[in-house]
Amino acid sequence: MEILQTKQLTKSYGVTAILKGIDLTIHQGEIFGFVGHNGAGKSTFIHTITGIVNKSSGSFHIMGVSDQQLNQIKSNIGVMPDVANLYHHMKGIQFLRYMGKLTGDTRSREEYETLMKEVGLEHVTKKKIKTYSFGMKKKISIAQALLGNPSFIILDEPTSGLDPESAIHIRCLIKRLQKQEKTILLTSHNLDEIDKISDRVGILSDGVIKKLGPPEYLKTNIEAGCRISIRTKPVLPEAAVQRLSSEIGISLSFLEEKESHTQVQIGSEEDIPLLVKELTASDFLVYELKIEERSLEDVFMNA
Amino acid sequence: MIHVVKQEFIHSFKSIRSILIILFMTVVSYQSASFIQENDTFIQQAIGMNEDESALYTVVIVLLIGFFGFLFVFATSHDVINKEIEMGTMRLLVTKVSRIEVLTGKLIGTMLFWIVTMSISFAALTMIAGSWFPKDYMQSLVFIFYIVSFVLLISTLIPKSTLSMFLGIIFGITLPIVGLTATIIDRWYLSPFKYVLPYHYLDGPIFLMIIPLGISCIYILIAIYLLQRKDV
Repeated sequence: MEILQTKQLTKSYGVTAILKGIDLTIHQGEIFGFVGHNGAGKSTFIHTITGIVNKSSGSFHIMGVSDQQLNQIKSNIGVMPDVANLYHHMKGIQFLRYMGKLTGDTRSREEYETLMKEVGLEHVTKKKIKTYSFGMKKKISIAQALLGNPSFIILDEPTSGLDPESAIHIRCLIKRLQKQEKTILLTSHNLDEIDKISDRVGILSDGVIKKLGPPEYLKTNIEAGCRISIRTKPVLPEAAVQRLSSEIGISLSFLEEKESHTQVQIGSEEDIPLLVKELTASDFLVYELKIEERSLEDVFMNA
Repeated sequence: MIHVVKQEFIHSFKSIRSILIILFMTVVSYQSASFIQENDTFIQQAIGMNEDESALYTVVIVLLIGFFGFLFVFATSHDVINKEIEMGTMRLLVTKVSRIEVLTGKLIGTMLFWIVTMSISFAALTMIAGSWFPKDYMQSLVFIFYIVSFVLLISTLIPKSTLSMFLGIIFGITLPIVGLTATIIDRWYLSPFKYVLPYHYLDGPIFLMIIPLGISCIYILIAIYLLQRKDV
């Protein structure tokens, strides 16, 4: 079953187009990760499908309900907005109870406290949100998105700004939610995180989805070459990489030099033997050569 | 929607401005009624009113609302919508409930605060005078409803709360002057204000209050239309 389906969804502010015709389908029970540069349109996409901003054109359906009738299913969608959008003058538990009532959540006070415990905020239930740290605000923002037991949860940068322990805690929570048949749409700058927890990934750039698919599929379908790490004696400098590239006529570019290893991007794996031969001929002793595993970052950079 | 109403109603009472307004209205109503009670005959002779005793008791509260109504409502509620947008909390609300529910909830919550305030003032009058003034009470409520609707429209229309506060002071001073002047002086350029502002209808029979009530509903519909189109 499709939980979200967008068709040529666009959003413009004046003459500036932020979303330029997004076609996307998210299926029930999957974790869909959205990545993109700052200003790529990730948050605008979320704001558009949640009714925070009005679309410019196109259409979308959530759980089979058209965007024109979005109000009918709001209680079944959990949205985690930016931490700045909280009622900072309220106490944590008071805020959750207010949000819960708006959603039609009927849990008891004790159950609200359990929810706060679930996100790691049991020690600050009676403190005002304005006294919370950034990470705590993130957590309460996630907690309110879970109110009303929604089947579609939208999380905008859920772990950014969190300490590693809290980030792991939130990732585990997301995985737990998936086990409860929840569908999750999340955005993140942390490509490693998206890679780890998402079933499918969409790379958004300049208002359009450039790549879409499971992380493994995207990683094995990068068009341009691979990254290799070489340990030579003497250490291979950038100038030598550029010289070799022009002399032997292969696509070779210097990436970085770290701890006596030089990272280079090579056009094709087929060119590696030729590179080793030329390095030896140029008096560089090759001690180690490793093809780096492709990451989502490579996919992102190639998008 | 009921929870937005409740939140807005409780929030209204937490402001020091609101408490001061309630105190001011109650004290003035009580003191004026006591004064009238003690000097009944003298006042009636002085101003030549002897056919309608209730008008004597309620004149102060009607004047209070007439002169200070806009100013008081703007002081307490000028930011009822735009503050939520400024703080970003409107984003949170519209993901939970519809925009119409948010606006209607805010309207009812604010109105309830004024119903309580007005009821306290009229209760003070009733205690002293020993009689109830239903016509004046209803007229005052419609008058306040008109102002609350207008303030809600301004708060939806003006994105910054500082600007709506500034406009509130301007409107709070000018609208009573223009409205009352238009009621007294018959000039063509004052006619629109005479019929759009509620002052003219206070002097007539109670059913005339349906006109400011209708205008209030138009303000609310415009506010809903504006909020629906707004990116919050």
